Amino acid sequence: MTCGEFLASLDAYLSQELPEDAHREVARHLEACPKCAAEFAGRARVRSALQAAVRVTPVPEGLEAGVRRAVRAQQSRTRAGLYTIAIAAAAMICISIVTLLRVRNGPEEAILRKTSGRLAALLNVGLRDHLQCAVFRKYPRQPEAAAQAAKDLGPEFAGLAPLVEAKLPANVRILQAHHCTAAGRHYVHFIVADGNHLLSLILTRKRPGESLGAGIEQSGVDRFQVVAFESHGYLAYLISDLDAQRNLQLAASLAPTVRQYLAARS
Amino acid sequence: MPHLHELYRTAARILGDASQAEDVVQETYLQAWKSFGRFQPGTNCRAWLFKILLHTIQRYRRKWLNVRMIKESEDVLEQAAAAAPAVPGQITHEEILRALGRVPADYRAAVLLADVDEFSYKEIAGMLNVPIGTVMSRISRGRKLLREQLSELARSYGIGQAGGEGGA
Repeated sequence: MTCGEFLASLDAYLSQELPEDAHREVARHLEACPKCAAEFAGRARVRSALQAAVRVTPVPEGLEAGVRRAVRAQQSRTRAGLYTIAIAAAAMICISIVTLLRVRNGPEEAILRKTSGRLAALLNVGLRDHLQCAVFRKYPRQPEAAAQAAKDLGPEFAGLAPLVEAKLPANVRILQAHHCTAAGRHYVHFIVADGNHLLSLILTRKRPGESLGAGIEQSGVDRFQVVAFESHGYLAYLISDLDAQRNLQLAASLAPTVRQYLAARS
Repeated sequence: MPHLHELYRTAARILGDASQAEDVVQETYLQAWKSFGRFQPGTNCRAWLFKILLHTIQRYRRKWLNVRMIKESEDVLEQAAAAAPAVPGQITHEEILRALGRVPADYRAAVLLADVDEFSYKEIAGMLNVPIGTVMSRISRGRKLLREQLSELARSYGIGQAGGEGGA
């Protein structure tokens, strides 16, 4: 990618509107070209300054009361009836629901945006891959052959598949195991089915500054449960749409196996 | 009413006037209430409210400003093009809002919806009732104008022109 092409894509990149391939290409150019990186940094700075400034604009005190008064006045003018009441109720629910999906690049962005707090960024690392790879891409309905999983995982991680399988309850099966990439990050990914529930066991190399500490972190995001822990230079995640308790139980039973495996190969 | 503040802030920045913004937001909720039958479940309620807001703003602007068309602002843009803006390292709220106020309203709206309210280009196209290509060019030009206005400020503070940014 030339600097000219980079500049032509920069606005769409800043808005996260580029297709995945083009996004990656721009990101690669950014790493390689300090001049373009400086241009990007300047534009990103303006964008965040604008966000910050607009978001602290004071809102008039009486605004909400005024809106409610106007809507109530409108309501009383409208013929009362079950239908009207139902519509009004639905409208108010719509207007007052906080956690609305904010669909940008796709539903996964909407879900990722709902995490907050100190660990959000780290939990999102695993959640992103689960959403992009397991939830929104095709995965086999039936478990694939163990030999295929071993081939896809490569010599480094092939040995982990049977160990994980052994730790899973009887009716919980690995559907597929492979390497994948999401948002420029590399993952080892086990897609697991528990009845109608989809689980991901995900490993990714820790980057500088990323740390989950010694324990196991748990969080619920949208309908997904995320359990995360770190071990021997890796971040590990179990993500599913199971209930929190069951997800945690499974993660707790898998964690020692994963830790031992990573310890043995480090 | 969690979207109320976002709607108000966007309206206030597009219109540049607090009391007009208040009117427009009130009207938006009234319209939303009246036309809720047309709201399709499963679609994004926040985007839907913003779409009503933008329509309301357009109606109000026609009334207040005797239709200020975008053509006009495009001329301003052409004149301003080709400069190499040096954005100040530290940008205060006041500076950026002042710079934003100097960007023509149609561009300002596109930039606000993309950069502050973080809607997708497709959603913005729906709100402004224009093709996606127009949204893209309004955002690019709007951002560029904003940088230029900021660099004007920088120059007035004695920060010299720095590196170029190339073609549009």
